[in-house]
Amino acid sequence: MTAVKSSAEAQDIIVIENLNKWYGNFHVLKDINLRVKKGERIVICGPSGSGKSTTIRCINRLEEFQEGSLRVDGVEMIDDVKNIETIRKDVGMVFQHFNLFPHLTILENLTLGPIWVQKKPKAEAEEIAMKYLERVKIPDQALKYPGQLSGGQQQRVAIARSLCMNPNIMLFDEPTSALDPEMIKEVLDVMVELAEEGMTMLCVTHEMGFAKKVADRVIFMDGGQIVEENNPEEFFNNPQNERTQLFLSQILGH
Amino acid sequence: MKDFQPIADRPAPVQTVGPVAWIRENLFSSISNSIVTLGIIAFLVYYIPPVMDWAFFSANWSGTTEDACVKEGACWVFINAWSYQFFYGTYPLEEVWRINLMIVLLLIVIAMSFTLPKHYRMKASIAAWLALPLIGMAVLYGGWGGLEVVSTDLWGGFTLNVFMAAASIIVAFPFSFLWALGRRSQMPFIRSVSVIFIEFFRGVPVLSLFFMGSVMLPLFFAEGTNVDKLIRVWLVLIFFMSGYMAEVFRGGFAAVPSGQYEAADSVGLSYWQKILLIILPQVIKISMPNILATFVMLFKNTTFLLIIGIPEVVQTLQTALSNSYWLGGHALEGYLFVFLVFWASCFGMSVLSRRIERTMNTDKRD
Repeated sequence: MTAVKSSAEAQDIIVIENLNKWYGNFHVLKDINLRVKKGERIVICGPSGSGKSTTIRCINRLEEFQEGSLRVDGVEMIDDVKNIETIRKDVGMVFQHFNLFPHLTILENLTLGPIWVQKKPKAEAEEIAMKYLERVKIPDQALKYPGQLSGGQQQRVAIARSLCMNPNIMLFDEPTSALDPEMIKEVLDVMVELAEEGMTMLCVTHEMGFAKKVADRVIFMDGGQIVEENNPEEFFNNPQNERTQLFLSQILGH
Repeated sequence: MKDFQPIADRPAPVQTVGPVAWIRENLFSSISNSIVTLGIIAFLVYYIPPVMDWAFFSANWSGTTEDACVKEGACWVFINAWSYQFFYGTYPLEEVWRINLMIVLLLIVIAMSFTLPKHYRMKASIAAWLALPLIGMAVLYGGWGGLEVVSTDLWGGFTLNVFMAAASIIVAFPFSFLWALGRRSQMPFIRSVSVIFIEFFRGVPVLSLFFMGSVMLPLFFAEGTNVDKLIRVWLVLIFFMSGYMAEVFRGGFAAVPSGQYEAADSVGLSYWQKILLIILPQVIKISMPNILATFVMLFKNTTFLLIIGIPEVVQTLQTALSNSYWLGGHALEGYLFVFLVFWASCFGMSVLSRRIERTMNTDKRD
């Protein structure tokens, strides 16, 4: 199968069916089924080791899986370099520890993808980069190195770096977990703005305020399974599963 | 509501800064420490004057022959008389500008590697470095454009040590990088070939490798081909060096956080783009001190070439020491001279590498 888009699934931009993953003999993801519509904002939460990060890392093939199927924008995720590259161009990712490239300036971090992957001329790539730096409100840092920026600024650069590739889907893997409390807000503000513009987002986070504010659906995972999924209102006010209730009481209890 | 009032900085207490405090803290902080300090001072007072006297005050500085050494101090005349051979071997005097030209070129390439404007520094200096061994061979050997051929039998002296070391590390650099990549490969065949290569060249003494290069390697060449001895030794040095450097690079690869690979993947870079644009620059930066240490080791190992009769600087010195006009026993001066030349070069490289590390250190640059 080649990287051809089929129109039948135009609605569901991500389709995950019966996904199973093992690390050696350790069964980390069990029968994951998930359909994401274009423009949908999904928050995934759960205790550590529940497989939530692993799930979204499968979507751009940072993790392989052994069973089941995964389609992104109609492209089947199989063991084929061409398919993987097509999907990665379509999917942006923001990491817990930012993972900016420390030997490149902020501007170079942002233009790397457009220049080398999309083969855009340097001037155009820089123009795009500055546009997104302005959107995350740090155009004045363009010529600095990542090490000179605060954590919150670095994470906003990381978001801008992903946006420069003009992705249809953004994955956030605990984007605020490594930040000081004072910096969490500036990153969340950028994410809220992005959500309001209609970006398809999958976000692993414990920021329940963010979930209540922007999520269309909240998914709770434990032990490698999806335990419960619902709209935020139902999810927080009326959790169906005992495990979900316990988790919510623990993180919202103080 | 109260205003937040920052407290102004105050200078440190006087007893903890300044020269007197430094001496007290570092040299006389305890009784045993004071005894050691006084012992070292006594040792220096006792031994430095005679050494200074031998090396400078009673030394023989002027003259051209053994007979000029009449005072009981060092006979620097010996070094002076043989200095040409020590540096250039038996390279013809009228052609020696070629060697000097290459030394200058080498220094220029080193300098441009970290003074060129940043946006084309990387490309320009990599090209210059890779071209350098070829230019060096063409210029030193000659035989084109009116340049006379200078047989490699005539090359020698300290500049030969420098050129052999430089030409080896330049070629070994990309190879060792590939070996290190191979050792990390997912593919069992590539991985085992890399491991076998690296472990072979790391596990075998360099002397036996030199013997292999000069005696055994010709057996592998087709009958009738005669590959120059210096080229064979050069190959040995390249293999030896790339085995060691591969391990240096492996450490560098392991030190790059996995998040860097993941970020490069998620941006959509291909494997080679990821390796060359993201990982390699960080690996080189992390490995810089070890790369230099390996290079210094190789540079000093070039003196082992005397074992197979290549007239590098120590071999030249031994020739000079056994010369019938210079039988006054000048081994001390001679070896001291070689010692100083090597030490100065290695110390210079050390300073240079610290400078490069600072240039590359973007993590905390203001």
